[in-house]
Amino acid sequence: MQDRNMDKALEIFSALITGDEISARNKDTASLYDEYSNNAEVYDIVYSMCKKMNLMLYEYKNTIYVSPGDNNRVFGYSNEELKRIIGVRLNRELYLCYFVIYSVMTRFYSDTSNPTFTEYVKCDDIVNAVDSMLADTLKSINLLNLDEIEDNSFQAISATWEDLPLVISEEGMSRASRGSKTGFVKMVFNFMEKQSLLVENEGRYYPSQRMRALIENYYEENKGRLYEIMKGVSEDAAY
Amino acid sequence: MSEEYVLTRDIIYDHNERMLNIKKYYPFFKLSEISFRQYREGKYDNLDMGYILMAVLRFFIEKNNFNEESVTYESYEKFMSELLRRDFDIRTDKEEEKEIISFIFDKIKNDGKPFVYSYFNPVDKKRQSVRTRIIDSKIVDGTVSYTISADAVEFYLDTKEIKDESDITIDQVLLAKLIASKNFRGGTEVVRRINSEVGKLIARKNEVLNILSYDVFQGVKAYEEFNRTGIRWFEEEQKLFVKNKELISQALKQGESENNYYSAMEDIYQLEQELNRAITRHGRLLRECTDLQVKADDIIARAKLGRLRTSFDFRDFLKNMINNNSVLPLQNIVKPLFGIGIHKSFSLGSVDNMLTFKPDGNETGEKISSEEEEQYVYPDELEEERIKSNYGIFMESLFAKIISDKSFTLGEWVRELNDKTGYDVMKNADFYSFIVHLCQKKEYNLIQSVNRPDTFLEEIIKEHYMIEEERQLEMHEEVPELPDIVFSITSVTGSDEVIEKEGVACIANLRIESIE
Repeated sequence: MQDRNMDKALEIFSALITGDEISARNKDTASLYDEYSNNAEVYDIVYSMCKKMNLMLYEYKNTIYVSPGDNNRVFGYSNEELKRIIGVRLNRELYLCYFVIYSVMTRFYSDTSNPTFTEYVKCDDIVNAVDSMLADTLKSINLLNLDEIEDNSFQAISATWEDLPLVISEEGMSRASRGSKTGFVKMVFNFMEKQSLLVENEGRYYPSQRMRALIENYYEENKGRLYEIMKGVSEDAAY
Repeated sequence: MSEEYVLTRDIIYDHNERMLNIKKYYPFFKLSEISFRQYREGKYDNLDMGYILMAVLRFFIEKNNFNEESVTYESYEKFMSELLRRDFDIRTDKEEEKEIISFIFDKIKNDGKPFVYSYFNPVDKKRQSVRTRIIDSKIVDGTVSYTISADAVEFYLDTKEIKDESDITIDQVLLAKLIASKNFRGGTEVVRRINSEVGKLIARKNEVLNILSYDVFQGVKAYEEFNRTGIRWFEEEQKLFVKNKELISQALKQGESENNYYSAMEDIYQLEQELNRAITRHGRLLRECTDLQVKADDIIARAKLGRLRTSFDFRDFLKNMINNNSVLPLQNIVKPLFGIGIHKSFSLGSVDNMLTFKPDGNETGEKISSEEEEQYVYPDELEEERIKSNYGIFMESLFAKIISDKSFTLGEWVRELNDKTGYDVMKNADFYSFIVHLCQKKEYNLIQSVNRPDTFLEEIIKEHYMIEEERQLEMHEEVPELPDIVFSITSVTGSDEVIEKEGVACIANLRIESIE
């Protein structure tokens, strides 16, 4: 193994784990991308380092992206950290954030191989989408005592969503906050923007290349494991 | 006060325009009153003038506007003849048919006179009449040809929204009529309608794309429908736009050269501007439709491929989560999208643990105890051992019997074996496999078998004797010589042919004879 190749591989790896993108289009990282795609030894070292660190590497439209996966204690975020970053307090609020992100994903992709050709989403679109996705669960809440709702259930996040007014005031419509549906979605949009998943332009949120890269690659690869997790949950629910 | 003024104004000043607008309907109701009861003693009473009029109008639109040709009386006659036979089952001689067709034509032409509709004009406070025709006639190259009037086209189009055909095409046909009849203001209205229709189609295109993106099957249906009513007519529409533009420029030229046309110039300019706008919008619609076509093809191709390749269905996963009523899998789905969390934080408890952590002074090594490797005996090895041991018992008994009895049957040997072992050998599976192996040769020479084993059984015999030899050597016993046994195996005939064990087995009897 040549020292030079090792150096390049480490350079790529450190750029990736500090959140930089390695892209052929970016003049600062083009040479690194070139090394990664044309030098087999560099590729092997980067790939194997990522694998050992439980990181997933994806190449999409001449750019390399890295994902910590869903159970990475070193490089991933814990729920507590996420609550602090997004700006929510309760677990049910955090899961509502996850649900909002999920509904954003489904606006752009019905499944991983079929992008929906939706170019962008607006805050209102997502408020309506969450409303309709939670519609059935919301119906069942009316029949239940709110104290009986389990913390990690859909009813819990539906109740949290339902309790939010659409907007607090006309002036505060565009403000991100936990106090209203629009504010909540805006808060999640801000977080997604920080995570380089969405790009904002005049209130329109476009999916980033990073988001597309991860959606089109990660879930297909991990399909079996995700359904296993789902199966585990359903078995727990049965007992 | 002002409300009253508006009301009165509406009633008085708008009345004239309203009456002009409804004049196009007048001929239809006038004609549909015509009864055939008096004609030829009511023989053609079943004819319906309303239906016939609508059919004739459609025929004229087809000929005049779509095919751009005039209608001669002969072609009208042919069309009517078919209609009467097809729709009213009229079978009559040629002369009579011609007569009735001519009668209908005269009625539609109102005997060559215009349909006159009179009404009271409240502005002038006097009765006024408007005239309208359904069919105009002119003489070209010595023959009379007929064309449909603008009013009649407008009336026909107003009666139903024609879904199968593009509204833009129909409106353009009407526009051509209106320009020809120098009704430029009416033409402007029609072009505005075309503009709004183009707008509707652009909106519909976006809807179709939206449906396609969610549900390919529904989307394809919507796309086909859109193609049928929208895109299919583009070429036609483009031609009509060119034609209408030509008509307007002709009208402009004519207007500039003739003074009497001067008053209409403003209307013509307005119409031209409106038409230019319509052409631009129509061009945009064409681009949008091309874009739709490309995207639709792409979506369909992706959907086809998607069926073949495995993909992760987000909607299905959501449905499962909702069914299980657990939001926990959401974090497994969403977290992989996030970036790398390099800024670490620790809970206060962990920080406390870290600060109060006292590592041992010396590190103690891990003790590794030595363990002996276990010997495993697999089930097939156990089986093999059992078979060999059983075969040994059978062989020794068989050879002893050969030495003592010289000739005996399998039946006799079985009985002796049963007595010696105290078990029923016929219930031992190994006994049957031993017999099967034994029957592989008709003659055995024990010494030869041990020295040069041919069959599987001979191998076992050799192995058995060698083990026995080793055992005796180990025990320091004298190793006996291998007995010189030569024997043959033949089948038994007669009453002892078969040995039967009830409920277990039935085997052929054998004779075993020693050969000297």
